[in-house]
Amino acid sequence: MSERMQQRLRYLAFLVISILLAFGIGAIVLAVTDHEPLAAYKAMFQGAFSAPRHIGDVLEYAMVLALCGLACDLGSRVGIFNVGGEGQLLLGAIVACQVGVWLKGSPTWLVMVLAALAAIVVGGVYAFIPGVLKVKVKVNEVITTIMLNTVAALLCSYLVKGPWQSSSKYVTAGTEKLNAQYWFGGLIKGSKLSTAIFAAAVIAFFIWYVMQRTSRGYEMKLIGQNPRFARFSGLRNDTVVILCMTISGAICGLVGMFRVYGAEHIFKSGISNDYYFEGLMVAMIARYQPLTTILLSLFFAALKIGAEGMQASAGVSNHIYLIIQTIIIFFMAAESGIFTAIENRRMQKAARRAALARREGGTDNE
Amino acid sequence: MSEPVVEFRHISMQFPGVLANDDISLTVNKGEVFALVGENGAGKSTLMNLLYGIYTPTGGEIYIRGRRVERYNPKYAIDQGVGMVHQHFMLVPSFTAAQNIVMRKEPKKLGLFYDNAEAIRQTRALVEEYGLEVDPTEKVADLSVGLQQRVEILKALYRGADILILDEPTAVLTPQETDELFAVLRRIVAEKQMTVILITHKLGEVMAISDRVGVMRKGRLVNVKNTSEVDQRQIASMMVGRPVLYEALEKTGTPGELRIEVAHLRCLDERGLPAVRDLSLSVRSGEVLGIAAVEGNGQSELIEAIAGMQHIESGSVKICGKDVTNRSPAEIRAAGLAHVPEDRLATGLSAEASVGENLLTGRQREKRFRKAFDFLDRSSVARYAGELYERFDIRGAGVDAAAGDMSGGNMQKVVIAREFNFDTPVLIIAQPTRGVDVGAIEFIHSRIIEKRNAGCAILLCSADLDEVFRLSDRIVTIYEGRVTGEFVTDQVTREEVGYYMTGAREVAQ
Repeated sequence: MSERMQQRLRYLAFLVISILLAFGIGAIVLAVTDHEPLAAYKAMFQGAFSAPRHIGDVLEYAMVLALCGLACDLGSRVGIFNVGGEGQLLLGAIVACQVGVWLKGSPTWLVMVLAALAAIVVGGVYAFIPGVLKVKVKVNEVITTIMLNTVAALLCSYLVKGPWQSSSKYVTAGTEKLNAQYWFGGLIKGSKLSTAIFAAAVIAFFIWYVMQRTSRGYEMKLIGQNPRFARFSGLRNDTVVILCMTISGAICGLVGMFRVYGAEHIFKSGISNDYYFEGLMVAMIARYQPLTTILLSLFFAALKIGAEGMQASAGVSNHIYLIIQTIIIFFMAAESGIFTAIENRRMQKAARRAALARREGGTDNE
Repeated sequence: MSEPVVEFRHISMQFPGVLANDDISLTVNKGEVFALVGENGAGKSTLMNLLYGIYTPTGGEIYIRGRRVERYNPKYAIDQGVGMVHQHFMLVPSFTAAQNIVMRKEPKKLGLFYDNAEAIRQTRALVEEYGLEVDPTEKVADLSVGLQQRVEILKALYRGADILILDEPTAVLTPQETDELFAVLRRIVAEKQMTVILITHKLGEVMAISDRVGVMRKGRLVNVKNTSEVDQRQIASMMVGRPVLYEALEKTGTPGELRIEVAHLRCLDERGLPAVRDLSLSVRSGEVLGIAAVEGNGQSELIEAIAGMQHIESGSVKICGKDVTNRSPAEIRAAGLAHVPEDRLATGLSAEASVGENLLTGRQREKRFRKAFDFLDRSSVARYAGELYERFDIRGAGVDAAAGDMSGGNMQKVVIAREFNFDTPVLIIAQPTRGVDVGAIEFIHSRIIEKRNAGCAILLCSADLDEVFRLSDRIVTIYEGRVTGEFVTDQVTREEVGYYMTGAREVAQ
């Protein structure tokens, strides 16, 4: 137990150090580019927390990051890396949106349930394909999912400029706008936060519970750690891996539906700007631990929304957010290497000292 | 008066987290066979790797013929006359014996072109000089393991070695090959005044060949004795640091019904070549059937095929009367099989998971651990794991520590505890004590016999022939994927089994 506690503390310490270093390097970049670092960071903080609507936006973005990150956690727990969440999200969003367009006039509950189901199915199927290819014919899932992302993005851009294009002349590349009766209710005026966050919270809890507390979650972990041992012990690895990948895709699809029905109310290219990849980075930093993923999502959402506020108020490019995020990832990735190097040196020194002490104390004369 | 050839002075070697050698001072003399014994992880191989220059010691110095070793790399060591034959041979399989032997010091025509005829001639001369019979023109891939080992020794001699280190040389040899190797070693020591350092954990061999024996324990050299002044039991006690009792294993009961039936089995190995060829065997309840085979003769594939980890091309496997040919491990376990695999780290456990989780595996869906909403009850798991931990005498940092951080012997106990506790009618055990220390071997052996006496049908596979003889009621020898002989243990000698293991003799089936 104490060893695990130690590991957690070490992780936390490295996380805090990485974040501080990242902000430090970010400050140097700001200073070099003729900005006042402290003022910029202050603007960033205010951009995230100074008004209820900012906080609402932070929560909405945290929801997206957390669900995407958890979808990634789910795959990596069983040893499959879903890099295709972006495509699954886009397809889920566009199909869910089109369901709402087609069923205009139907009861609200029916449209929302069908839209959610459609998003789940489309996202799930889109992840099922690379999942099966990986398990049955050993095709690397990273390559297939990345390529399927491009396919999905191109398909969406075709649909919004072709068959599903809006009839409004103000929308050049987008679907019809959703009827307001189908929207998730807004929670904070002026922000994108909607009641979808409650559904997201339930899903997040459910994923955490399954992964961390159930016997199935334990089986998933075994498959990810040592697939051969898992099979040897009687687990059905192939089925579990495909299932986890499919659920991972279904969650991404549902995030797309949340984005459309909660925040944007239309499908256009801005429905996701590589949001899945940002969620994936959060998951990586969180070492694919669900609870850590959720907490770090809040942190990075505040950072991102704050950076946008900073851009507006202090005129500093919000790319500083990307700089800080990638530096944190860099340090976290280097952590184990740095730590082992320090440990090795420490022990070699100890050994030399011990050998010396023995010789001096010994009777042997050279 | 004996003349020192190698001197270790206060040698220490610190690896991350392990002090592999702790202040070792030792002198090895010219013209002697020095046996270095100790349990796995005692630091024997590390000490020899230091002499061969693979590592640089973190403390102390080594002297060869009175000269201090200045640089620690194998080339320097070879120049000083040190040769080492590793456990895993360092040969190019597609080259001939002669080509392997002269490698890195090839005879040249006009100082430029490789001269194969000269290489063969020089190899022949070496073969004659040392009496190590090998055909220089044969490809290494076509040589038996015993002959490959000779090529390794010749390679060291060609480079001018007169200090020869052999790391567990007999692990892959049959009894006959071991005898031949020892005859050769005796000859080169007596006639050429060479020095041989032998790493081993087989005490019988220490007594048979060595002049002196050094015992290592936990990185320290605890004792150096003249072999003639000690017996095996004393050495074993020095190795473990406490008295070792070899209890007689009491076998009771008579074999009952058929539990494992393998008929005309054929399997391919990883490269798609036939590994098991038309093999049949059967095991009854209350008996141990031991497989005696030199490594790589299809026994691993056979065991994995029975357990569902290996595809079966043709033939059938029945467990407790149920046909399980090409079924999944889950179905075969349900039919009544538990399995201790040969490679515990790759197959037997998850190194990252805790000891408790490893002990639980396979039972995670049982009612006592699984509450409503699929909730895994950690406290019942901890209780269950703690109980097994005690019962199987596992020693480590407790059930919450990562399994991969334990010693090999304790990892093996975790696997054995989990698999034995399924209380299945059939057990397959491969290499039960590989890399396990002397103290734990006794424990594992008596657990196996306990299972046998309780009516379990046990198929045992071990590279250690003594172990096969000690535990088995019957023995089958396997050579190149076929059963070459079947014996009742009490009615056969090791030598005879050795002939069948190499295919030199075969019983028509």
